[in-house]
Amino acid sequence: MPQCLIDDRKVEFTPGENLIEVAKKVGVEIPFFCYHPALTVVAQCRMCAVEVGMPGKDGTVQMMGKLQTACSTPPAEGMVVKTKTEKVLKNQKSVMEFLLINHPLDCPICDKSGECDLQDNSFRHGDSYMRYTEERRTYLDLDMGPVIKKNMNRCIHCTRCIRFGTEVAGIREMVAVQRGNNTEITTIDGRPLETDYAGNYADICPTGSLTLKNFRFRKRAWFLKKTPSVCEGCSRGCNIELHQDGNVVHRTLPRTNMEINKYWLCDEGRFNSDYVNDADRVVTPSLPGASGLAAVGWEQALGAARASLEGKALSVLVGSDLTQEEASNLKTFLGKQFPKASVFHYGTKGIKTAADDAAADKILKRKSRTSNLHGLEKLGYQGFTGLPAGTEAVLLFRGGRAELPDLSQARHVVGVGVFMKQDAAAFHAVLPGPSWAEKDGTIVNFEGREQKIRRSILPVGQSKNLSEILMLWANQGGKTGVA
Amino acid sequence: MHPALEAETLYIQHFRRRDEARPLDYYLKQMDGYTALAKALKMAPDQIIDEVKKSNLRGRGGAGFPTGMKWGFIPKQSPKPKYVVCNADESEPGTFKDRDIMRYTPHLLLEGMAIAGHAIGAKVGYIYIRGEYTREAKLLDQAIDEAYAKGYLGQKILGTDFSFDITVHRGAGAYICGEETALLNSLEGKRGEPRVKPPFPAQAGAFAGPTVVNNVETLADVPFIINKGGEWFSRLGKVERSGGTRLISVSGHVKKPGVYELPAGAVTIRELVYDICGGILGDKKLKAVIPGGSSAPVLTADEIDVVYDIEPLMKIGTMMGSAALMVVSEDYCMVKLIKRITKFYAHESCGQCTPCREGCKWMEDVLHRIEDGHGREQDLALLLDIADNINGKTLCALGDAAAGPVSSFVRKFKADFEAHIRGKKCPNA
Repeated sequence: MPQCLIDDRKVEFTPGENLIEVAKKVGVEIPFFCYHPALTVVAQCRMCAVEVGMPGKDGTVQMMGKLQTACSTPPAEGMVVKTKTEKVLKNQKSVMEFLLINHPLDCPICDKSGECDLQDNSFRHGDSYMRYTEERRTYLDLDMGPVIKKNMNRCIHCTRCIRFGTEVAGIREMVAVQRGNNTEITTIDGRPLETDYAGNYADICPTGSLTLKNFRFRKRAWFLKKTPSVCEGCSRGCNIELHQDGNVVHRTLPRTNMEINKYWLCDEGRFNSDYVNDADRVVTPSLPGASGLAAVGWEQALGAARASLEGKALSVLVGSDLTQEEASNLKTFLGKQFPKASVFHYGTKGIKTAADDAAADKILKRKSRTSNLHGLEKLGYQGFTGLPAGTEAVLLFRGGRAELPDLSQARHVVGVGVFMKQDAAAFHAVLPGPSWAEKDGTIVNFEGREQKIRRSILPVGQSKNLSEILMLWANQGGKTGVA
Repeated sequence: MHPALEAETLYIQHFRRRDEARPLDYYLKQMDGYTALAKALKMAPDQIIDEVKKSNLRGRGGAGFPTGMKWGFIPKQSPKPKYVVCNADESEPGTFKDRDIMRYTPHLLLEGMAIAGHAIGAKVGYIYIRGEYTREAKLLDQAIDEAYAKGYLGQKILGTDFSFDITVHRGAGAYICGEETALLNSLEGKRGEPRVKPPFPAQAGAFAGPTVVNNVETLADVPFIINKGGEWFSRLGKVERSGGTRLISVSGHVKKPGVYELPAGAVTIRELVYDICGGILGDKKLKAVIPGGSSAPVLTADEIDVVYDIEPLMKIGTMMGSAALMVVSEDYCMVKLIKRITKFYAHESCGQCTPCREGCKWMEDVLHRIEDGHGREQDLALLLDIADNINGKTLCALGDAAAGPVSSFVRKFKADFEAHIRGKKCPNA
């Protein structure tokens, strides 16, 4: 393997590797703004400029007179790179000053604060003193649709968003208009964003210019507790990070996994967690009351649920948003408690079995809008095609995302899991279970890849884990003393 | 009369005939029109490139890169089509020589492009012309029509297998599109922004094909080189490694401004200003000259005994650029001048890279403040530092073009700046 020398450290590289990445391998961090490993290199921010030299014919290294941008300099055999010389440090300081002269420095009210590249690099490489006394450049703001809030004054013109649109999302909607000092990054004709991947614009923005409307002014980044997990939005299983504070999931961010989702996440997956803390979610055991569902104790709800299914021809519907652990537990439970019942899995209208699942777009999305369709099939569950004739009651399990099938012909429905009040209005009993953010478990994606989801928050309200609910049910309450 | 004016010239005698020189008839009869193309088509491409190398022709657009070497960089085999692109964006302030070539001897350019096409193996040429040159674009189109009608362009030129098409593409008035990669982007219909180099245009230029980008005058020199030989052309120049004649655009406070043609390196700036251009307007004293278009660092009146050519000027820290000499007389405010120049660069910065986008406007603002009498003592050190932070740190040469003048003005005319700052107004006002 060819070698180069970065800050006196020998490092091997494969040709084609980016110098910034090569430097990381020996712990040398070269600061940058416009570079992104998934996007074309434009060498615009000039922050990553370093001194570069090549050995001449006689072997002595001649350093180039000008600084070279590390992002656009391919490493070569014998190349010598210096990232801490006086010249390099002065350039970093100067680029920081240039970027900040027109930046509003409104970090105290900026959502990006605490996870902002501009802030971090300013702290590390900038100067606390500023020489600029002229008027700052300002722009009018633009509404970019429901996902992204733009604040052009904070923009440092790195053009990552433009490149993300054309190169990843496959849509040319972000552009630069005007030129020079007046350059504005905007959408074509000021139209709202159209891509289903708009949230990524906020992720790749190195400053607070593009932020998520949904997360605006909600939480300071440093108060959020982060849990690595996997998205339950479709059968791809994109890697994510759930950010919670006070047992509320505030946002979902993509977590890099080059084999599944790379750096990206679709908007559906990103905003999927909103239902977890929704005010309409049924989080107490409930039975029909005088005006809709009424909260009762676990013992009463369990008793009523059991009684309403007693001796009836039963169909069991299992959401393909349950984990492998839950689904296999359930199998044992059903075999013992309801050996005659017909059992099906359900999840997405029009997707009956794993064979119906396919790519829904060219980027990430899959047609199955639940996470564990492929896992449930592996466990031997059958796809739901309609209630068998003569069904008198339905026992419904749901993780939170599976699309409810039409149950209008079933007279008795008992729901276990996550339901909204309006969905469960006609149920005979609701036993609240955990959403995917409230439990650990395994899901299997469309490629058969098993991934762990992790609990980010405790079960909301009086919800209990499915294993606990099943145990209570099987033990008839009281018998084991657990109720 | 200065002896340099008696030397052999290639263009100026035809420029003097003005519109009369333009038609194809005149070109064929008076200028041996298209004989060089006929000769070149009988030569091997490498022979042509060798001849151009021998001629010591250096790019006339500003960088002064040896043309033969540039052509030699084009790969012989290429899966993508190759292109000849003529940079007719002539937007460096003070430069107006290419305009005369396109106005009065457009066929020289067309013939030069066809020869270049044969030399590098291109079938298509583009003339990227400055947006403001509406009349010249029309005249070029007329000349192209004439050449097509007589079979000097198009399919099977002069009965050979060589085909070459030329299209005129008008710019939209951006200075940055004179930078070759921004020009190529603009030509492709993209935003006129310089590209990251490498790859250089010789590897991946227009439409990702190998491309040679040459200035108008450079290409117009080529037919002379082919007809009379590279060595003859090289001998026209009076200094080493610089062949041919130079078209020089002289402007500012001289008695006789205009386009001059002189052998490369034949005169000093002093001779050019006083003996050839008749001295300073109103017989005032000389204050400064900007030797190579507004992006060249300024020279004081004491520095003008320097031979006016690429390398002598480079040695004293400035540049010949596009050979546009701007002359400033004693009573002109240097602060006002540099503010105007900087305003131009701030306005023309494409906005891609940080130092140029932010720094040029900052320098303009500071200079504006000084000129208005609101300057501070520390502003001069600040200007020098901003210029230093831009110089050599940008994606393309526009940053250097903006920084060089500012630092040279502040260093060489410090007293003028201090007079503004201490007197709180322009002393000339």
